[in-house]
Amino acid sequence: MSIMQYNGGSVIAMVGKDCVAIASDLRLGNQALGISSNFQKIFSVTDRIYLGLPGLATDVTTLRELFRYRVNMYTIKEEREIQPETFAHLVSSTLYEHRFGPYFIEPVMAGLSKTPSGSFKPFIAATDLIGCLNFAKDFVVAGTASEKLYGVAEGLWESDLEPEDLFETISQTMLNAVDRDAYSGWGVVVHVITKDKVVTRTLKGRMD
Amino acid sequence: MFLTRSEYDRGVNTFSPEGRLFQVEYAIEAIKLGSTTLGIRTDQGVVLAVEKRVQSPLIESSSIEKIMEIDRHLGCAMSGLTADARTMIDHARVTAQNHSFTYDEKIKVESVTQAVCDLALRFGESVHDEDAMMSRPFGVALLIAGIDEVGPQLYHTDPSGTFVRYQAKAIGSGSEAAQAELQEKWYSQMTLQEANILAMRVLKQVMEEKLDQHNVQLAQVTPQKGFEILDETSLKAVIDQM
Amino acid sequence: MPDMVSIGQPQQRQFNPYSENGGTILAIAGANFSVIAGDTRQSEGYNIQTRYAPKVFRLTDKAVLAVNGFAADGSMFVKKVKQRLEWYRHAHAKDMPLRAIARLIQTMLYSRRFFPYYVYNILGGIEEDGSGAVYSFDPVGSYERESCRAAGAAQSLVQPFLDNQIYFKNQRPPPGTSNPTHLPLHEVLSLVIDSFTSATERHIEVGDGLEIFVVLAKGSTTQGLENFANVQEMTQTREGERMFNIRRNLKRD
Repeated sequence: MSIMQYNGGSVIAMVGKDCVAIASDLRLGNQALGISSNFQKIFSVTDRIYLGLPGLATDVTTLRELFRYRVNMYTIKEEREIQPETFAHLVSSTLYEHRFGPYFIEPVMAGLSKTPSGSFKPFIAATDLIGCLNFAKDFVVAGTASEKLYGVAEGLWESDLEPEDLFETISQTMLNAVDRDAYSGWGVVVHVITKDKVVTRTLKGRMD
Repeated sequence: MFLTRSEYDRGVNTFSPEGRLFQVEYAIEAIKLGSTTLGIRTDQGVVLAVEKRVQSPLIESSSIEKIMEIDRHLGCAMSGLTADARTMIDHARVTAQNHSFTYDEKIKVESVTQAVCDLALRFGESVHDEDAMMSRPFGVALLIAGIDEVGPQLYHTDPSGTFVRYQAKAIGSGSEAAQAELQEKWYSQMTLQEANILAMRVLKQVMEEKLDQHNVQLAQVTPQKGFEILDETSLKAVIDQM
Repeated sequence: MPDMVSIGQPQQRQFNPYSENGGTILAIAGANFSVIAGDTRQSEGYNIQTRYAPKVFRLTDKAVLAVNGFAADGSMFVKKVKQRLEWYRHAHAKDMPLRAIARLIQTMLYSRRFFPYYVYNILGGIEEDGSGAVYSFDPVGSYERESCRAAGAAQSLVQPFLDNQIYFKNQRPPPGTSNPTHLPLHEVLSLVIDSFTSATERHIEVGDGLEIFVVLAKGSTTQGLENFANVQEMTQTREGERMFNIRRNLKRD
């Protein structure tokens, strides 16, 4: 069995109208054995960038710290907040540094990037475990339930969803996908990022 | 006539010049020696009744079994060489079970009858390494009663493998008189209870002994309870109503 | 000249009698109808063998079988089922009822328990009581009656979507109401089409064409079919169940 499925877990990010959403399950497992139903996989990078790290749990912790360090260094050196596009490339190059001994994580990120006019543009991206970037315009998925997430999201997602509708869409996608995945589930957390606030909701899910 | 017959009635697989199979015809004759057995179909279910010939007071009459269950919805009464009926009923039971195993539905009455009749002509000389077959035709006739999606039905089978559906049919030694009586008394709107009583009356007429709950057997197939042989108490109740 | 070193060495050869030919099938039961669908692409690895290989077959006036997995096993299996249906017709003077076909398929699959037909079957149609039904099977005959099932290459994409849209999983009905147990025909057809366009979008083994069979119970109207193009009636007798076939294109890339 692949090390990518060792601890289980899934993440999805979606684009809406002037908003983005990112969601993950809360399960931490040891193969088929459930260990925790409150394992965080999504972390805030800045006020407007969230990063999801599905994959090997030990690397979740390591990469979370590594990106915190690198983003802090960026902020100090550049004296400005990192933009989502820049952060995506930071993620990519960090992973590629370990091209032949990778972290077993497939990051998913969601954020709002500042345009020259001062408004905000939705941004989502995902990479594979060695940092190959995927800038999708609709949604990105990763983790043990990725196939299911693709299927449901492809059926439910529409363009230009308002934040509340985007929340409903990503929640339904996540809940129904993880219910068909033995390695993901045990609750879901959803973050909806708009220009002036981030709404975080924890959803109850099936506990089997 | 006697001459031709004596030439052609030995081999079970040889036609006479007139196109007859004497052994099969003799088998049919054998049934006429059997105890009287009859069946009546009504819209509410089918009734089977047999006379048990208790030849000696030392016989345990309850051990004479001439009505048997094939499946929950199928029953069978016999007359003739009752030992032969075991082979046929065994086959019918296996066929019925196989059907419900394979198709998850009750086998039709006609289908199970057909299956039994398929056996009837499997006598004769076995070919080279083929398994030994039966050496002679069956010497028994059956009345197969049952209920399926078509409704209550009664079939009669004989040793030639022919089967015919009846509203009411009598076989065995008293069959001629019994059949005439059934033809006289049967009517299409008959209730099951009326059929039970008619069956007893007809048996009583053709029996030599005095009819009581020990020397007859009565069974029914109903949509509600399927096949059931009436116990002596319910049987006595029917007899008392005659 | 044989390689002198290899002489006397143990050698192993193997023949693999199975392959996997992609594609996806799907069936949904309504209150008085059943919809059975499949895409028509047949592939082996990254090669497309044909863009039109039907996976959905009419068995009787009221039963349709969808077969997915190893195409050779699939077509042979359907052939054998049809043969058994014909024998049954001769022996019992009637068409085999849907639940009897379901049980027959189980026994046929299980009889090959140790050299299985490498196929997933979904049987759809109308029961004796007039209700729409779907039966799904694993390759060795384990089966279950359900009201919806996807199988094949894109099962993992489609099934959770169906859980949500057909069974209303993770959806709480507004207070004082309840989720419907069966959807109307036009909604079911839309969901089938959406499922296959989604699967085509994200799965390389799904696409080219979509073939949908609709079986309507005795006495039901064709309401719900009128808004769909290329609907072809394939019913042979006027009274009784009616059967329709809908063909659509799916993306070919």
